[in-house]
Amino acid sequence: MSAATESAPIFEAEALMGIATDLFETMVDGEPGHLTLWWGEPPELEDSRFTWVDIQGQPATRVLLAASRETGEQLTRALLALPEGSAVGDEDFADAVGEVANVVGGNIKSMVPDGGALTLPSVAHAAPDAPGAIAIIDTYLSWRGAPLHVSLWALP
Amino acid sequence: MTLTAESFDFVATLVRRRSAIQLGVGKEYLVESRLSPLARSAGVADVDAYVHALRRDVTLHDQVVEALTTNETSWFRDLTPFTALRSTVLPELAAAGRTQVRVWSAACSSGQEAYSIAMTVADEFPQLTASITATDLSEQMLVQGRAGRYSQLEVNRGLPAIMLVKHFQRQGATFEISPALRRGVTFRSHNLLDAPPPGGPFDVIFLRNVLIYFDVATKREVLSRVRSVLAPGGTLFLGAAETTIGIDDSWQRIPSAGASVYRTHEKRAA
Amino acid sequence: MKALVIDDSRVMRRIVTGILRGVGFDTVEAGDGKEALERLTEHPDVALCCIDWNMPVMTGFEFVVEARKRQEWRDITLMMVTTEGEQGQIVRALAAGAHEYVIKPFTPEIIVDKLELLGLVGARA
Repeated sequence: MSAATESAPIFEAEALMGIATDLFETMVDGEPGHLTLWWGEPPELEDSRFTWVDIQGQPATRVLLAASRETGEQLTRALLALPEGSAVGDEDFADAVGEVANVVGGNIKSMVPDGGALTLPSVAHAAPDAPGAIAIIDTYLSWRGAPLHVSLWALP
Repeated sequence: MTLTAESFDFVATLVRRRSAIQLGVGKEYLVESRLSPLARSAGVADVDAYVHALRRDVTLHDQVVEALTTNETSWFRDLTPFTALRSTVLPELAAAGRTQVRVWSAACSSGQEAYSIAMTVADEFPQLTASITATDLSEQMLVQGRAGRYSQLEVNRGLPAIMLVKHFQRQGATFEISPALRRGVTFRSHNLLDAPPPGGPFDVIFLRNVLIYFDVATKREVLSRVRSVLAPGGTLFLGAAETTIGIDDSWQRIPSAGASVYRTHEKRAA
Repeated sequence: MKALVIDDSRVMRRIVTGILRGVGFDTVEAGDGKEALERLTEHPDVALCCIDWNMPVMTGFEFVVEARKRQEWRDITLMMVTTEGEQGQIVRALAAGAHEYVIKPFTPEIIVDKLELLGLVGARA
């Protein structure tokens, strides 16, 4: 995806942060304080995984999350209440991070005018190819010190 | 669930002793969900292991009581007072030919209780107009109440979905209660130890889960002030674990399924 | 009492199931609306369905419409538990026959409060 930023801000980064904060406080951490904006240089993600959902509509919008496999595993353990350090299978991993994308995407859809249907989440080793997509929000969050890349795209 | 019955009893006893708040059977999920973060930050395997640590270390007790008693605001909190309101109190007022009902929602927090009353009257007693005075000490709570704006998580708590779509309008991330309902509720800053707020005499007073924080002398003082602005035949709702018994004998408990409902004794010679 | 938890995400099924078991429900699970109809046939004693909206094969909304056509399932309480938060969607679901609606994300208290509203667990006290 190209990172051009010439588009009307149909959605504010602050509202996105609010959605993510609610989700992490209630269902991931069970308490506030573990999710913040990422301060400083955008970090390098290692062994990245990507998950996304699309909000069909005019224009179609994509919510894309990226994190290292390790961070995704932590997220999976938190959602499933698995013990620290326990093995995380691929199915649980895809299911858990996909559900995070689903909840974030659904909440965004509820706030934008004319939000159409929400696609089921996809999970992959690479970001989906989307030539001509325009970044609306492109930001890093810090969850328990680990980076999460969150971006919102207007699809052509 | 990792919580044994024995651990639950220990926590319930601790909380009851320290706050007078009862954690009855069925509240295991609450203990589990509120104590999980504490267990995790203490580095123990689960809530049960954390309760074992609690038994040995009294310095942990404060945070446990706090975690389990943090001010909860939900719509139609406890349900039973609203059932009594709907099935007894409001029908009596309507049958007496009243067209207005004056209500005081004391220690109203962010206004969910006051608006729950307003919705009940609007939906089920169209012949009545509710004039509600909602008071709290916290200016921040009053600001939110006046705005009538609530987050998605807040409107998820105890508010029937039908009322969410009927009485609220989504504004981006928040839900705003209808101007008609907002007009019926006046928010005021008020300390329960001061003279009662204007707007009375009140037909109905909600004073729930406040007395538990006061000693007996203060409870008596507050109940006496409340009595001074309660209309003849008016109704007082206390929290489920609260009572006037042994504090102020001018009140009598009205039988009501599960709710803590009081009225003053019939007037003797004045 | 028995509850059917319908969600294509196993993570979400486990979270909802955990909350329901905590307040005394037995639970069965389904990964989409069609599977849910099969589960209901196998478990005629289900009293509550918690229903995600967006699922493969058959959506939760379609499930509600189908379930409401069946006389023998009339007494089952249907509660949507979904990330769809537009008021228009809530109205659609209620009109189709859902009794309650929870928007994701949620806390255990949110689910339990709704069950109390529905008279399925004891009132808060």
